[in-house]
Amino acid sequence: MGDVARDPAALELLRVQRARLADRMRLPWWYLAGSAILCALVFAGPFSSRYLPQGVPTWPIFVAAVAVACLMQWGLTRVTGIKLPFRNLRYRPGRPVGITILVVFLAASETEFLLIGRDLIVAAIAVAALAVVAEMACLQAALRVTRRELRGGGGAA
Amino acid sequence: MTAKPDPLIHPITRLSICGLLAAGADWVEFAALRDAAGISDSVLSKQSRVLEDAGYVEVRKGAVGRRPRTWFRLTAEGRQAVEGHLAWLAQLEEAFSASTRDVRQARPLPGDRDQPRRVLPPLLGSS
Repeated sequence: MGDVARDPAALELLRVQRARLADRMRLPWWYLAGSAILCALVFAGPFSSRYLPQGVPTWPIFVAAVAVACLMQWGLTRVTGIKLPFRNLRYRPGRPVGITILVVFLAASETEFLLIGRDLIVAAIAVAALAVVAEMACLQAALRVTRRELRGGGGAA
Repeated sequence: MTAKPDPLIHPITRLSICGLLAAGADWVEFAALRDAAGISDSVLSKQSRVLEDAGYVEVRKGAVGRRPRTWFRLTAEGRQAVEGHLAWLAQLEEAFSASTRDVRQARPLPGDRDQPRRVLPPLLGSS
């Protein structure tokens, strides 16, 4: 450990390298498009329960959506070369975004049910569209948090 | 976590590899690690083998089609060592910047008469 005088420079170099790694975390167009379609499918749920004929199962759509989401995640990992650990709401930096996603989902779904119940279909469609936009904005915010954590070293100096 | 230097990850290339793996990702792919660290394929292969032999890095090899893919991640032991080493480096950086600050304060800029002199100039030729 002779080059102690150069050690602060090594730490600075590591910051630059981490910033380079964080810059790889960019969402490709197909991931954004796929996420928007999946979100739209989720928010179309309240319409399906009312307008689809009785007895039509919705679970195959749900299973297909989960499979597509997993496939997209695998593709994103392949493209970026970075596999992130699974994080729930206990992960502090991502908590505000996670809570916002949940709140938007619950609020939009309930509002849709209410509006469809009162035959305000156009308003329900508008709410669903706004919810998709909000969820996509949350996705971008979550990505920004991830990039910031990768730059900062996720707790390690 | 105790701040202590680790001779195995002190060389700059190994420090880069370990520091990048400790950034928050679970697994990092060979090309991503190589590009971020700015090193060649052969250097990454060689240094990662040293780290793998020491039990600091876990390596997973696979293939997508015909292309081989290698993924790296830190083991628990490796993460502990890296965090300790980075904390030691951060302490060193703090001490280094503090000493630089002291030197700047001790040597005022030419013409800066308001700056108090903390270190007296050597009294050459005084009897």
